[in-house]
Amino acid sequence: MSGNTPSSSRGVNAVINDERYRSIFYQVVVFGLFIWAVLSLIENTQINMATRKMAVGFDFLKNTAGFAVAWTPLDYKPSDSYLMVYWVGIINTLILAGISIVLATFLGFIVGILRLSKNWLVAQIASWYVEVLRNTPLLLQIIFWYLGAFANLPRPKQSIEILGFESLVLNNRGLYIPKPQPEDLFWLTALALLVAVLIAIVLNKRATRKQQQTGKYISTLVPTLLVVFGLPLVVFVLTGMPLDWEIPALKGFNYRGGGFVLPAMLAVMVALVIYHSAYAAEMVRAGILSVSKGQTEAASSLGLKQSFVMRLVIIPQAMRAIVPPMISLWMNVVKNSSLAIAIGFPDLVSVFMQTSLNQSGHAVEIVALVMAFYMTVSLTISACLNVYNKKIQLTER
Amino acid sequence: MTEITEQNKVSEKFVPKPSLPPPPNTTGAIGWLRYNLFDGFLSSCLTVLSLIAIGFMCVNFYEWAFAKAVLEAANRQECRITPTEFGTCWAGVKFWFTRFIYGRYTDTEIWRVNFAAIILILWMIPVWLPRVTAKLNIALSGVLIFPFLAGYMFLGGDRNWFMEIMVSVALGCFITVMIHSLLCLFTGAGISRWIIQLTGFSSRSERLHKFPVIMFAVIIFLLSLFLINDVAFKEMPNNLWGGLFLTLVISGIGIASALPAGILLALGRRSKMTVIRVLCVAFIELFRSVPLITILFMATTMFPLFLPEGFHINKLASAIVAVCLFAAAYMAEVVRGGLQAIPKGQYEAAEAVGLTYWQSMGFIVMPQALKYMIPNIVSNFMGLFKDTTLVSIIGLYDLLGMINAVSQDPSWIGLHHEPLFTAAVIFFIGCFAMSKYSQYLERNLGAGHGR
Repeated sequence: MSGNTPSSSRGVNAVINDERYRSIFYQVVVFGLFIWAVLSLIENTQINMATRKMAVGFDFLKNTAGFAVAWTPLDYKPSDSYLMVYWVGIINTLILAGISIVLATFLGFIVGILRLSKNWLVAQIASWYVEVLRNTPLLLQIIFWYLGAFANLPRPKQSIEILGFESLVLNNRGLYIPKPQPEDLFWLTALALLVAVLIAIVLNKRATRKQQQTGKYISTLVPTLLVVFGLPLVVFVLTGMPLDWEIPALKGFNYRGGGFVLPAMLAVMVALVIYHSAYAAEMVRAGILSVSKGQTEAASSLGLKQSFVMRLVIIPQAMRAIVPPMISLWMNVVKNSSLAIAIGFPDLVSVFMQTSLNQSGHAVEIVALVMAFYMTVSLTISACLNVYNKKIQLTER
Repeated sequence: MTEITEQNKVSEKFVPKPSLPPPPNTTGAIGWLRYNLFDGFLSSCLTVLSLIAIGFMCVNFYEWAFAKAVLEAANRQECRITPTEFGTCWAGVKFWFTRFIYGRYTDTEIWRVNFAAIILILWMIPVWLPRVTAKLNIALSGVLIFPFLAGYMFLGGDRNWFMEIMVSVALGCFITVMIHSLLCLFTGAGISRWIIQLTGFSSRSERLHKFPVIMFAVIIFLLSLFLINDVAFKEMPNNLWGGLFLTLVISGIGIASALPAGILLALGRRSKMTVIRVLCVAFIELFRSVPLITILFMATTMFPLFLPEGFHINKLASAIVAVCLFAAAYMAEVVRGGLQAIPKGQYEAAEAVGLTYWQSMGFIVMPQALKYMIPNIVSNFMGLFKDTTLVSIIGLYDLLGMINAVSQDPSWIGLHHEPLFTAAVIFFIGCFAMSKYSQYLERNLGAGHGR
């Protein structure tokens, strides 16, 4: 490759102008820059941590956390370790996000259908609901619900009894609900429920197969409901109703016993549900509108009943447009539940990234752990989404 | 007989009767009401329920906002309408309104913020005027050069040689943009053509035309250097910045940096070079899968550790960097969506004409893709504007942070609802305007019918 002869310089030019070699060259340069950046960051961090006398490593997770967490379903004591705090945060985040996802999707479907209502007033109200909620920040809404509604609740002595139940009360310490206490044989009921669901699935599969083979439609709604609710109920009664309720009761200045939910959790949940329901509503509306009118007309001209047109033709096609954005909305609910920190609900970011980080000072490790959790959740969800997308792509022509 | 009568009938000329007017209850206001509000039992029930709900909300809102309003008060205690009950303390909002907008910026210096805002508006107006030419240059100069001017106006203090040059360049650009737009509006010809004509270069060859333009630029630069020579602003450290002003600064920088960074990341993600693609995918997926608040916490706790010894980064700067990284990752996905909407034939055609990669992207693919992306880009900006409120959690005094601070002020303690309502209205107006504008663009560009 050396020398000034024309042939070899042409060879050099050929190498320089060849796209493959240039691409390798660029990649080597970029990779080198990346490695250099990462190494210098690590070096800087090590120097900085050494000068600040910060320890490195995940050993601190075994240390005693020493602070109380305001709300958790787990059995957590201040003497537990930081690792336990991590689990507490994860469970709290997942509970908050899980309930919010279910309710937001449900509410979103209702509002989305109302937006398409032929009734002008209803459609207008639904569309302003969506506009107002989507155009104000979620954090502001969370603070608004907390300060506007859930921080002004009465003291335990003047608790609000929801629907007149003495065991379902709301006060400034939270929402108190009866707590189920399963006894010895309760696992049989749970098992019965599992078996019932399996039976129901088999029933429905067989009905579908029969319809595909013979064209005869068999309604499975009633048998399914009977099996799913009936079987566990029978087992429950036969085993002697092994379920007790621990009922909250006013003792002294506060309610004791039963399950309870913090006002902050209620506030953040209401805010998450309402905010995301507006987005879900838009997805549902767009999904239904994406099915062309010809589909409705074609289905009607085949002689399908009106309810079948909706159930068998419109909704399956609309779902194809609704489900992918809906799943990324669920991902957003998980991520946005981290805003609970603003009003003091002990979610993962609040207990681990704020309190634990301030106490232990292990910034790098804690940030990595928290990010690892959120990344696991979103990568799992997007993997499910990819599977679903593949599945519905196959059904297309 | 019958045949004859039928023949008679046929020979009679057919005169149609005038059509009857439609039944009165299907037209006009009554028809509209019947069709849209009382179309059947269920619909009527929904209408009545909705009316009751609206009435209930209106009455409650009137009571809260007007009937119980206290407009004059020096502190929260004076907002009581009865000894036990607080009224709606609009006096508090009035008292703190300047703080909500400008944070703790010194009162006598607030004009600087307003002045920079007015310059930005004047700078950007020509982009929307149809008669003005060279819009891309105007917009680019506004995004790239204006921040130096604004940064100096906001921060003040001493200028080093770099800031001296950049501020005068920015001022010169502004003056040029203004002259150019006015010339375009009134004469229809841009500034460079005027310069060439006035200096008598129009008769010379085209190659020489750039010299008078360069001369003009140098003169304008020297002029603005001279203009700002005596100007010195008091230093306003950025812990005094706050309120809506800070929200707009953070989201503005985020928005301005998101688009170029997002385009590069999206191109990288679609690149054939494995290393570049993997790095881009990793960056995008990392920042999209974690909440913004964790990125902000990471920025405040870890950025100081990343820097070499002797460098310091303040909280505002780390927050801005965090917001930019976050915004870039989201924008990259929007741009990728737009790029995927471009048919493969366009890429191949560009290659077939012999354009290089950057030429084909810049002249063929991006202009088409951007058109598809505009609605998504605007809604992304909207999201960023809303998400900027999160910086209040890490202790910056943006609009929401100011409101929290006010509610803890000793003489206004507990003043929550009215400021929150005000902030909600401010955000709603901003975001609603943006979303309506994006819908307008979508209709006008016909991007909605693209696929």
